[in-house]
Amino acid sequence: MLQGSVQERMKISPYMAAYVIVAMQTGMGVLSYQQVLVKDAGHDAWISIIATGLTVHILVWIMYRICETVEGDVLYANVYLFGKIIGNSFNTLFIFYYIIYCLTSLGGLIEIIRTWMFNDLNPIVFGAIYLLLGIYIVFGGFRTVAGISFLGLVIPSYLMLSFLIPLKYGDFSNLLPVLDHTPMELVKSGYNMIFSFLGYGILLFFYPFIKKPQQSKKWVHIGLLGTTFIYTALAIISFAYFPEGLLARSIWPTLEMWKIVRLPFIERFEYLGIANWALIMLPNVAISLWCASRVAKRVYHLNQRKAVIVIACVCLIIVSLLQSRDRMNLLFEVHSKVGLAIAYFYTPILYLGLLIKKKVKTK
Amino acid sequence: MANFFKNEKFKSKKNQSENHVSNESNEQEKHSHAEEWEKELSQSNDYKKTFYFNQKTGKKFYFTFISTLVDDKVLDDNILPNLLEDDFHKINDVKKLIPIPDVMVSSNTADIPQMLLEGYIMLTIDGDTSEFAFISSQKQVGRSVTSPEIEFSVVGPKVAFVEAIEQNMNMIRRRLPVKELIAEEFIVGKLSRTNVMVLYIEGVTNKEIINTVKQRISDIEKDEIADSSYFTQIISDNGNSPFPQLLDTERPDRVAASLAEGKIVILVDGSPHALIGPTSLTEFFNSFEDYFLNWILASFIRMIRLFAVIFSIMITPMYVALTSYHYELIPKDLLSTLIISRRVVPFPPILEALFLEITIELLREAGARLPTKVGQTIGIVGGIVIGTASVEAGLTSNVLLIFIALSALASFTTPVYQMSNTIRLLRFPFLLMAEKWGLLGITIALCFLLIHLLRLTSLGFPFMEPIFPLRLSDFRDALFRLPFKSQANRPQYLRTDDSNRFSKEKANKKKDIDE
Repeated sequence: MLQGSVQERMKISPYMAAYVIVAMQTGMGVLSYQQVLVKDAGHDAWISIIATGLTVHILVWIMYRICETVEGDVLYANVYLFGKIIGNSFNTLFIFYYIIYCLTSLGGLIEIIRTWMFNDLNPIVFGAIYLLLGIYIVFGGFRTVAGISFLGLVIPSYLMLSFLIPLKYGDFSNLLPVLDHTPMELVKSGYNMIFSFLGYGILLFFYPFIKKPQQSKKWVHIGLLGTTFIYTALAIISFAYFPEGLLARSIWPTLEMWKIVRLPFIERFEYLGIANWALIMLPNVAISLWCASRVAKRVYHLNQRKAVIVIACVCLIIVSLLQSRDRMNLLFEVHSKVGLAIAYFYTPILYLGLLIKKKVKTK
Repeated sequence: MANFFKNEKFKSKKNQSENHVSNESNEQEKHSHAEEWEKELSQSNDYKKTFYFNQKTGKKFYFTFISTLVDDKVLDDNILPNLLEDDFHKINDVKKLIPIPDVMVSSNTADIPQMLLEGYIMLTIDGDTSEFAFISSQKQVGRSVTSPEIEFSVVGPKVAFVEAIEQNMNMIRRRLPVKELIAEEFIVGKLSRTNVMVLYIEGVTNKEIINTVKQRISDIEKDEIADSSYFTQIISDNGNSPFPQLLDTERPDRVAASLAEGKIVILVDGSPHALIGPTSLTEFFNSFEDYFLNWILASFIRMIRLFAVIFSIMITPMYVALTSYHYELIPKDLLSTLIISRRVVPFPPILEALFLEITIELLREAGARLPTKVGQTIGIVGGIVIGTASVEAGLTSNVLLIFIALSALASFTTPVYQMSNTIRLLRFPFLLMAEKWGLLGITIALCFLLIHLLRLTSLGFPFMEPIFPLRLSDFRDALFRLPFKSQANRPQYLRTDDSNRFSKEKANKKKDIDE
């Protein structure tokens, strides 16, 4: 019996799990990760991306093991391991984590729009409309959330073709010599890369919604490989396109690369890219709203409709306060540190704890 | 509504049994009841009661009927001569004397008004009112079968449904002469008492769909049903969506094909359109003519249509977004063309676009309300005169005029009328969002549209199928159409009881060279 189980018709096909996870991973990071990446390992940093990508596979494997061990989601695993009170207070922290996740996505999107498109964009009006979209998705249930994750990846996927054009202007001798950085520098770059990969943790929450979880493993790992591949390819293109010094000073290298794209009917391609990014960010906001409200429902037995509205209101209030780059940076900092702690410390510890508890119980 | 119907039936049965038990005591009550319906009906001038004498036995008998519902020819040629000339003693003789199969002998007075209103002739013998015969002689008033007007096709069958449900059923039955084709009848509407038929193929159509439809039809609370489009609005899953969630068609061949696919069909008496469900978004962009063409041509035409839809929704909002906000996005050479055409226009792009869009809508609406011949002239004259004049007067730019005309043209390529209306409506929110936030606004509107489509269901089945949930095998007859031999299985999303249409091996058997 699956804990926090859901009806069969609410569930999603195994391969859809991959789309949900990849959609959650794809976010603001893709536009800006090159700057932090190149800081330590320079043009060798693509090695760090692959290495970090591999650690993600291990973590996802652990997450599957956790869910399989308790036959349920992480909320139940917490209660099972720590008891009701401590477990549920851990679970409550997830609500805050996903509110922060939603805020970084929405705040990051607003920041980019204000920098590149409309510097007079009213963040409250835009945030309200965007969160309304999120609420509308969550009201449709997890199937709609999965649906927008799918469409939010498939429809903008044509943007990938646009990276072929900067490739033409790239100078691949920038990448040579390979491996002239110390292992320590590579590790540092890999550490910085962790934040761009975050988002796979959502698996712990929607595990009961997968039709045949066993079959979904294959797809999720393929999806993660895809993310790693795209990050690596994009990094290599950026290293070839930008001189190393310039890349270290570019805040949004991906957007800057789009400037070179010229089609007979479109000149400033980055505008199209940013407009599309509003669709790419939608799954991030929708999934975090869904997850936060789902945790609220499971822990406090609230009505999920009401919970998601309250959470969206909280997000809107905080977004209206995030007007400066400093505050955004602080938010990113908090988000990445908490995300790192959850992924690389909390998850393995939870798994070990569960293993020990299971052993003790069977004895 | 069916409840109401059932109740009455139940009551009549009870009455009948009571009659058998105590005929005597009810006599008085029955008499007064009989007079009541007679009084009500005789207020109408088409209520007729005539009497004749049988030439052999001298019995006096009455015909009671509503003259506008009864076919005089049947009465004069088939009924009257036999009753006048042959041995006619008692009411039960009628069945032998008249060459009409539908004759009922009854003693239940409660049935009388209903039967008369359905076009039966009541026959009574003078002096004995306890038993009477109902003779079927309905007059069929209706037009003859014509060729389809909305879903016209150059090749293929040229018949369309008409208003009479019997005739429509006849056309479907002739296309599917199998005993598995089930037609269940419902009566809907307290006043209209509309005859509704639910059609499906036993052993193919999913039981769940059948039950859903039957349940929803019997739950309908409405006094009058004028057309099958009432049903689309009442029984569809989301009544607050601009998207039609049941496909309506006037082609019997399309109905037969849908039944064979495992779908369910609703026929409504008095409506020349049948409803097909469950359906999906892509189906609304498929014309039935696609199946009469080679699969390569059909796929190409479908692609064109899909492009037309996207173009039709997007082009004017794009124009507004680009000229209001993102003119940097337009390459230099193109920009100069745009600027020259907009040089003398005093309005912002959004007003310009709204002005032309509304003009087009006016022309379309005027054309639709006028008789066909006049409508065409109005369309051409209005389009050319207003268009040219507004450019010359400097009210609009001619680039936008081209875009608007093209997008109107593109919106008419959608084969299902209901859906092409929706497509035309959709561009207005897109326009407003483009005015607010440019390309970003268009994306937000697109997000809203996608979410709405994701949430829609048709009779409980996802509307976006096969795009989401992604079912690759159902793509063979969605955005493009693969050859018939690859369509050996029924669409996956219908969850049919028998998914196999024909033997794939036989259809795909290939001969070797020179064999």
